[in-house]
Amino acid sequence: MYQVVIGACAAPLLSFDELLAADANPAGAGWSRPDLVWLQGASCSGCSTSFLNIEQITILDFLTYFTRLLYHPNLSSATGDQVPQILNKLAASGKPYILVMEGAIPAGMPHACMMAGRPIGEWVRLLAAKASRCIAAGTCAVSGGVAKMTGTLTGAVSLDEFLKQRSIKTPSVNLPACPMHPGHLVYTLLHFIKSKGLPELDDARRPRRFFTHSVHERCPRYAAFQARDFALRIGEEGCLMELGCQGPVTYNDCVAIGYNGNTNNCVRAGHPCIGCAGELFPRPLLYHTHVDPGIAAGIMLKRT
Amino acid sequence: MTGTGITVDPLTRVEGHLKFETSIENGVVVSARTSGMLFRGIEKALIGYDPRTALQLTQRVCGVCPYAHAEAAALALEDAMGIRPNANGQLLRNLIVGAYQIQDCLFHFYHLSALDFIDVTAVLDYRGADPGLAAMRDWVRSETRSERIFPAAPFLPRYQADFLQDKDCNLSAVRNYLESFTVMASLHKMVTLFGGKSPHPVAIEAGGVTTRPTIDNLAHYRTLLHQVEKFVFSCYREDILAVCRAFPGYFKEGRGYGNLLSFPYFPDAAGENHFFAGGATIEGIHTPLDLNAITEDHTYSFYQNMPGGAIKPLGQNRLEPLDWEQFQQEEQRADGKYSWSRAPRYGGKVMETGAAARVVNTYHSGRNPALNQLVDQLNRDIGISLQDYNSVLGRHLSRYIKEQVEQVEPEVLGFREMEVPRNARGIGITEASRGALGHWVEIDAHGLIKNYEMVMPTTWNMGPRDATGQPGAVEKMLIGTRISDPDNPMQLARIVRSVDPCIACSVH
Repeated sequence: MYQVVIGACAAPLLSFDELLAADANPAGAGWSRPDLVWLQGASCSGCSTSFLNIEQITILDFLTYFTRLLYHPNLSSATGDQVPQILNKLAASGKPYILVMEGAIPAGMPHACMMAGRPIGEWVRLLAAKASRCIAAGTCAVSGGVAKMTGTLTGAVSLDEFLKQRSIKTPSVNLPACPMHPGHLVYTLLHFIKSKGLPELDDARRPRRFFTHSVHERCPRYAAFQARDFALRIGEEGCLMELGCQGPVTYNDCVAIGYNGNTNNCVRAGHPCIGCAGELFPRPLLYHTHVDPGIAAGIMLKRT
Repeated sequence: MTGTGITVDPLTRVEGHLKFETSIENGVVVSARTSGMLFRGIEKALIGYDPRTALQLTQRVCGVCPYAHAEAAALALEDAMGIRPNANGQLLRNLIVGAYQIQDCLFHFYHLSALDFIDVTAVLDYRGADPGLAAMRDWVRSETRSERIFPAAPFLPRYQADFLQDKDCNLSAVRNYLESFTVMASLHKMVTLFGGKSPHPVAIEAGGVTTRPTIDNLAHYRTLLHQVEKFVFSCYREDILAVCRAFPGYFKEGRGYGNLLSFPYFPDAAGENHFFAGGATIEGIHTPLDLNAITEDHTYSFYQNMPGGAIKPLGQNRLEPLDWEQFQQEEQRADGKYSWSRAPRYGGKVMETGAAARVVNTYHSGRNPALNQLVDQLNRDIGISLQDYNSVLGRHLSRYIKEQVEQVEPEVLGFREMEVPRNARGIGITEASRGALGHWVEIDAHGLIKNYEMVMPTTWNMGPRDATGQPGAVEKMLIGTRISDPDNPMQLARIVRSVDPCIACSVH
């Protein structure tokens, strides 16, 4: 069975089930648990807490069967001096590992994020250069997110920008959304574990599987949009475009797979999409009403 | 710093980038410095944004307690608008906020704190049939026998310490550690049913909640609540009591100033009569809340000094961080600035916030007889008095107490639309899991944010010294702690983690 699935890994769009079905005999399938190290830069730990909500596999299996989580800031027992010891030892070990980066890197103001006496950027440089793959987990790591919002002073950059500045060639995967969808990370990892490669990526290095369609295209209210039936107030049926919905400019499969085990998503909750997986998130205007004088006057565009 | 010292950098299993330093004389901590090491500057970056974006963006200050920021920002904007949500809007907000706070309590106890008390390697002796524990045992065994550089990560390495001795308690706690992931995911689903997603629920807006409650989503919420209740009322309670009984010393350690600040929290459907009364308990005396008493000091924070010293919320619209060179100079100076966190004071006094403050202030207010009954009952069970709440395990205990009172009657939806006012100010105060949280918003003539201020629970707890040299709340708690093994300063780590620090929040 697993041979069939491994063979099929060349195909770009493997389902979760197909990837999970291949785990019947890890040793025989020729894959081993990758070592993982998770760093947080200018972040809020939201992607970590989102990750803990994963449902396709248990956290116990994640820790003991699929991967080896050498360091995670919110889960590791290791603390104080033990942390730089682990990170330095890992970088010097010559062994392959995957770096998961949560949060942006304040490149313009290195002292804005310090860990173990060094700017976080130095740790990222050390660990990214030796990693076999890097995963940018969440919008801050992918495009700066709130850490880079207009008006901030720290010169925050995404993981990709940082790697480019430092001429680090390690292949990366971008998993935007605020917070990162836990399924996106686990799928990417399973794909790597079982095919030794990354899922097919688009130009922005996002897995095509998740980020090909806009939120708008798959919106449950799309039929209302086609009928030009627009909600003008929260609570009304109809397309939320007039209330500031950013679905047309936001690429993510959240409307299809939902959040928290498909319990709900923003549009189903009656709220316009805030574009959290978009590269320009956060815009200075999100939900608004159609009669806002500020918008009519174009003031939002003139921000100094 | 003089004498021998212990520096812990980073302290893991807290939210964010936290460092602390202590000086030790004769095995006792004589001074301490706690440092928040992440600065993003989101607060002042909000200037010029639509005030409604603050509800979404201030949530991104913290991915562990985003709901509290949504709530505080909504309350601040509603205050500026002069409205309150209708009954259903308020109840739905409570459902979101309540479920999220329980999740946060479990996260703090099992994932951020428990590994300081329980011994994961106890699973090696496990003989029973629980599949999770058996899998854990086999894994720990194969890892510790392997030649790996980092066996049994992320559970090892760790500080050597006096872990829980009782085998059954350890096994039960490890099993519940594993089980709690599912329970936390269920609590996040409860948030998501009305919030849209979790973390960072979108549906809380000024005016109520955008989600229309239906028979289906209310039933789903009740079902999930029923499931998680079993865990919260049995497993969580038993594990906390086991830790309390095994470490009675911690009721006496980690005592700080004993001044407790909390804000009104968890209102009824009318938005009044909060289950948890706000107030300040200073030197044992309970007084009503006075928001005008709040100031923030920058003397030891990595910002350019502000003229006039301590500043009231919205008292400044710029925050100028030090540049790299100045930062280095301050780091070298013996009495230099040492944290990105500011130092909030209440009438000049250092206050502690958190679950203990919430419970103690409510207890003293006498406004919630059911809560007082519970507190008295638990005190008899464990043999601590109310005064002991401001010590390490009292905080854990009150987190559990809190669960029992946070029960709401779900009803029908509510959202009131209102235009953003011009030239207005608003204040929103609530309780995050970690304690008193306030948002202050000022709106300009165009209806855009003119100034924004957030005063965070962890800033109260983990803030540095102020101009008068008064140490921050946790700094004070650390002073006097006896260190048995400087290479494994577990006592210090336990005390700092007990206040559930959130550095992303505290500096924002």
